Amino acid sequence: MNRRLRRVLDLAPRYLLLVPLAALFAFPLYWMVVISLGTLQSVFVFPPILYPLGHFENFLTAVGLRPDPSTGQYLQIPWARYFLNTVIVATGTTLLVLFTSALAGYAFASMPFPGRTFIFGLVLAIYMVPTEVTLVPNFIILAGLHWIDSYQAQIVPFGASVFGIFLMRQFFLGLPHDLWEAAQLDGAGHLRFLWSIALPLARPPMITIALFHFVTSWNAFLWPLIVTNSDAYRPVQVGLEAFSYADATNPVLHAAGSLMVTLPILIIFLLAQKQIVGGIAASGIRG
Amino acid sequence: MDPTAAGPAATLVARAGRRRRPGAGGGDALSAYLLISPAMFLLIVFVLIPALWIFWLSFQRWDLISGSSDFIGTANYARLLLRDDVFRKAVWQTVYFVAVTVPVSMGLGLLLALLLEKSMPLRDFLRTVFFAPYVMPIVSTAIIFSFIYHPDVGVLNAAFHALGLPKIDWLNSPQWVMPAIMLYSVWQYAGYNAVIFLAGLSNLPPELEEAARVDGAGAWTRFWRITWPLLSPTTYFVLLIDIIGSFKVVQPILVFTGGVGGATSGGGGPDKAAETIGYYLYVEAFSFFHAGYAGAISVVLFLIILAVTGLQMGFLSRRVFYR
Repeated sequence: MNRRLRRVLDLAPRYLLLVPLAALFAFPLYWMVVISLGTLQSVFVFPPILYPLGHFENFLTAVGLRPDPSTGQYLQIPWARYFLNTVIVATGTTLLVLFTSALAGYAFASMPFPGRTFIFGLVLAIYMVPTEVTLVPNFIILAGLHWIDSYQAQIVPFGASVFGIFLMRQFFLGLPHDLWEAAQLDGAGHLRFLWSIALPLARPPMITIALFHFVTSWNAFLWPLIVTNSDAYRPVQVGLEAFSYADATNPVLHAAGSLMVTLPILIIFLLAQKQIVGGIAASGIRG
Repeated sequence: MDPTAAGPAATLVARAGRRRRPGAGGGDALSAYLLISPAMFLLIVFVLIPALWIFWLSFQRWDLISGSSDFIGTANYARLLLRDDVFRKAVWQTVYFVAVTVPVSMGLGLLLALLLEKSMPLRDFLRTVFFAPYVMPIVSTAIIFSFIYHPDVGVLNAAFHALGLPKIDWLNSPQWVMPAIMLYSVWQYAGYNAVIFLAGLSNLPPELEEAARVDGAGAWTRFWRITWPLLSPTTYFVLLIDIIGSFKVVQPILVFTGGVGGATSGGGGPDKAAETIGYYLYVEAFSFFHAGYAGAISVVLFLIILAVTGLQMGFLSRRVFYR
């Protein structure tokens, strides 16, 4: 009894600080839900109504299946196209990163070659270059390739990841050497060993890399804003921004749109947060 | 002779011989180069070459639309460093942004990590709540924050009103637009910092704290005498990446002052009160198409980041306690 009391006394001040802080941190997401389920009248009341009202039809309005009550018009926003573009770009980037990281990570970990230390040092030095600094030259390169307004402009420049190479290398360095020796006795070369033995074992780091790059790519905003100029290739982030910018008077529909764009990534995060958080804690990458 | 009797040297040689992979000659090197080539090609073309080319670009007058260019020497730098008032303002505002967001989000991150360190009910849930802002898309969250900041019906002003404080037009006031964006930024990154600090805390040896507890040291003393010095490599790491990340801030400025609904103040905020180096670089390049001038801004930003990294490595690493 005494010990339980001590534990309660020990934990109480923690919760006293943590619970209000958690409420503050979660509030914006809660507010997104509240605004998206309100009406144009209810959200412009002062003081604000702090609980959700349940106007789920706002989502039908936002996707253009129901006329906007304030104008009587159907909204014409190509959400499906935006989401498809984002899924294509995020999937493409993720697969390309996995491919380049696995191959390079394996070579850096298990294959001796002249210049290995220098080239790996170069990779780590490249990590120090901020993407903001290379914005302008990269735009000029893509314009030269006639890639402006395309999927590849949003995929290929992000197809190699220092984080990915590093994580794969770390994993392959830890593989027991006996595995490679056994494979060699069976006459396997490096490629065969990588494909049939090392890669299947490398599922954990690959899942971390895939999740991280999928989330980053899903959330990408600045670069697609610069390199896309039509709905055909615009991802959902840029589409949402355009929607919000074009008509600043309807916070209800903006909140509905924001929630639609946030929910998929939030669900992925909740399902896979162990891998995402673990990968970030291990590598200290900051997007 | 019994090989085991030959001592450690022979064992080493034997082990080295075993570790040497047969066929590690030319053919193997060639396949290694093949394996690293896709990644290296992309990193060189889209990171290394642009990072070097930006220096060359900064000596040009380069129109991003027509592609026409001519060499103008240091003219871009002369204008940028000596005559450009907007840039000067942007530098100071970036320093302001860094000086506030880095200590606040680090302090909050460390506090959260310390509170969440020991196992307790709801710990995973709470950690998720604090970390989630980091993975949420910036456009969506900025849309909601700009409504939270609404001058008439925003919930932040409602809280201010309830406390008897005056209403503030957060995003349209030169004085308050930066604090509003800073608050957003702290919300985004505090949980991320907490995760890094939690990883650092979990690597500390528990015996020392336990010994201090047995000796009767209070929580405050234990933190400052044991946890804080032992945690210094992590603190140093978080400081470095937070400073770098904050120095190049672009996206929050872009969405809050020129992007999402309710942003009526125009790009860079009222009176350019939220113009930062990164945002100025973006506007010069992609609104005015002055690629050469934007190149000079990029170089300055790059050098600032390199200098910060170098300074921190030089001064701080000597005071950091490495185990």
